[in-house]
Amino acid sequence: MEVTINRQDDKTIVVFTGRLDTPSSQEVSNALEPVVADAKGTIILDCKDLEYISSSGLRIFLTVRKAAAAQGGTVIVKGMNSSIRSIFMMTGFLNLFQIEA
Amino acid sequence: MKLKETYNKLLAKQSARAGLLLVLAAAITLEATGIVQYLFSRKGIREEATQRAESQLEATKLKIINIIDQAEAAVRNSVWLAQWALAVPDSLYAVSRRIVENNPVIVGSTIALVPGYDSRHPLFSPYCFQAPGEKAIKVSSLATEGYNYPEQEWFTKPLELKAGYWSEPYIDVGGGDILMTTYSVPLYDSNGRIAGVLTADISLDWLTDLVGNVQVYPNAYSMMISRSGQIMVCPAESLVMRRTAQQVIADMDDTSAFAGVNRSMLAGESGKAVVRYNKSTTHVFYAPVEKTGWSMSIMVPDSEIYGNIRKMGLVVKLLQLLGLLMLILILRSVIKNLLKYGELNERKERIESELHIASGIQMSMIPKIFPPFPERKDLDMSAAIVPAKEVGGDLYDFYIRDEKLFFCIGDVSGKGVPASLVMAVTRSLFRTVSAHESSPQRIISTMNDSMSEVNESNMFVTFFVGILDLTNGHLRYCNAGHNAPIILTDTKRPLPVEANLPLGVLNGFCFKDQETYMNYDDAIFLYTDGLTEAENTNHELFGEDRMKKVLSTRRPSDGQMSAMKEAVREFVGDAPQSDDLTMLFIHFLPEDETFKTDRHLILHNDIQQIPQLAEFVETIASEKKLDQATAMNLNLALEEAVTNVIMYAYPEGSDGLVDIEAIIRKDSLEFIISDNGVPFDPTAAPEADITLGAEERRIGGLGIFLVRNIMDSVSYARNDGKNILSMTKKI
Repeated sequence: MEVTINRQDDKTIVVFTGRLDTPSSQEVSNALEPVVADAKGTIILDCKDLEYISSSGLRIFLTVRKAAAAQGGTVIVKGMNSSIRSIFMMTGFLNLFQIEA
Repeated sequence: MKLKETYNKLLAKQSARAGLLLVLAAAITLEATGIVQYLFSRKGIREEATQRAESQLEATKLKIINIIDQAEAAVRNSVWLAQWALAVPDSLYAVSRRIVENNPVIVGSTIALVPGYDSRHPLFSPYCFQAPGEKAIKVSSLATEGYNYPEQEWFTKPLELKAGYWSEPYIDVGGGDILMTTYSVPLYDSNGRIAGVLTADISLDWLTDLVGNVQVYPNAYSMMISRSGQIMVCPAESLVMRRTAQQVIADMDDTSAFAGVNRSMLAGESGKAVVRYNKSTTHVFYAPVEKTGWSMSIMVPDSEIYGNIRKMGLVVKLLQLLGLLMLILILRSVIKNLLKYGELNERKERIESELHIASGIQMSMIPKIFPPFPERKDLDMSAAIVPAKEVGGDLYDFYIRDEKLFFCIGDVSGKGVPASLVMAVTRSLFRTVSAHESSPQRIISTMNDSMSEVNESNMFVTFFVGILDLTNGHLRYCNAGHNAPIILTDTKRPLPVEANLPLGVLNGFCFKDQETYMNYDDAIFLYTDGLTEAENTNHELFGEDRMKKVLSTRRPSDGQMSAMKEAVREFVGDAPQSDDLTMLFIHFLPEDETFKTDRHLILHNDIQQIPQLAEFVETIASEKKLDQATAMNLNLALEEAVTNVIMYAYPEGSDGLVDIEAIIRKDSLEFIISDNGVPFDPTAAPEADITLGAEERRIGGLGIFLVRNIMDSVSYARNDGKNILSMTKKI
């Protein structure tokens, strides 16, 4: 699992690559701490290369969403493949985020 | 000569009296056994019926609530978006459209504004909907003069309650006469001012199938009523959405019969009741579906529950009569022949012929036509029984019920006529008890209790019962002091068997259940000690080694039987047979040749081992040629279930194992996850409430929610100090 964070002014792009399973969620959660701490702007979670997500991964998405809602930011989930999208639909997460292709 | 005649008469009289007493004693014993059996069976059947109905109710309810939750979630989670859009009312339809698009269960949605909220439109309610069978989402307006939405229930109720509201179900006339219900929530703008109502229409056509298909018994049926008593699902379609339960009850001859149940159902209670109406008795099981105010019931006619036991009672009576008849027959011949003691040869011949008849009757009780199930390709079975005297005390039996092979083998202590009588009783007990029990341990315990209760002759039976699930190879078995059967597999593992005690020795003895799995091409060989203890003229025993040597060559079951018989004959030579010899050979050949149960993965309780699951699923997925999405979903369900065990089963810092077993079938995959940790039922743990918005959502409970949604069935059991979670996915 790899996660890269790219911040420009009030726009943050987070790119996930690989499998976001239970063991890797811990690292990813640590890596995203600065994003959660400052979530005022627009946060784009790029899932183009995200192959797999488990409930611990979904929790990370929810944490970011909550932080943004509290601080007045916006979260956009981008480029999900169809299997990841179906997990979002199953859990009602699709309604929580702004979704872009 | 005269003395001899008097003696003969006396002997005849006494023998006749003794014979009569013997028959009487046997009749009383048999009748007592029958009564004990009957009482046991009735109680067991009643408990099983209740359990079946209640678990069906619970399962159906969960499925309904799951869909209801999804719809609530979609609406509540879209409220924030609708609040944004309020600033530009023309964009409201896009929010509704998004709800219908993103949520398969929702077929229509609107945001209806309170009259005058938007200065440009006195009434405003854009409606997005998906007509049945069409892909495109259409838009129309509910703000028409004829409809007047501000007076509709779905609009007024949520505003009045200041909370989400499920409407009474209704038939949607415009959209193809389907049963629908609407969920609506009040909508406030950013100033906290009431702005309107956000709704979602749920089509309930799945409900009719879901509830209608609950089949506890062939003639049982289920119903669903709304909070006002409106009939939503019912076998009589003419009543659906046209009458209320109260109206139907008012039309009955006896209006009081079902009134109590209906009152409890309308009050949202759950329970069971026995209702007598029109001379027939019906068992009613009911439970509310929370949130919606609906109530579901399952009705089972009394005759459905107890029908089998009545039939079985007749069979038992017949068998008992047969046994008595046999006894009388034998006694008569013995007495008659005693009187003719002068004619030794004739007597001997007669006894032999009578015993021959008795032996024939006895043999007719056990299945002996092979192959027994010629239409089945998944079973190759043979059996043989060779009594040492004309009638013997060995028995075997087998039959198939609900795709399960029930089989048994037994050996009564002693030989000859007394042993054969006990054998006949044992066999009929096995049939009666196993007719409604699916646990070998309970079959054995019930048999043991009724046999030791009336065991005056102190005869006992070594007995082995096995139940092989032909759909998945799961073999459950229980032993009562019998020799351990041999299981023939690739690895030639012996079948581990608890000795326990023979039947009829100790009332209330606690027998242990055991289990294993049989793979494709595995076989099991059961035998009585007449085989291993067959003696030759030098008083040497045939022994287990010779037996195993014969078994080590693979043959079809009938070949295996004749090879074994041949080997014994050759070994024994001219020595007389000393004990009954019985064998049963079961060769398991499920149609799906890829049927394997040995996919196994054992992990430590360390979260870093989770990635091994991905490889595990990958091998199964490529073998079954599953698509990417299904494989990923299976991986996800497994990860969630296993993570649960790793996190919660064992105390912090202690080492423990998680055992994952995959059973691969033609059209389904089953995963069995077991651990030795503290008792924990994940299916009973609270699920994530997906109806909450982002701000209120707890971070947790999603795991088991995902497992439930991905798999088709999930069940938990605590067995022998193990947590066992079994989950199945149809493929």
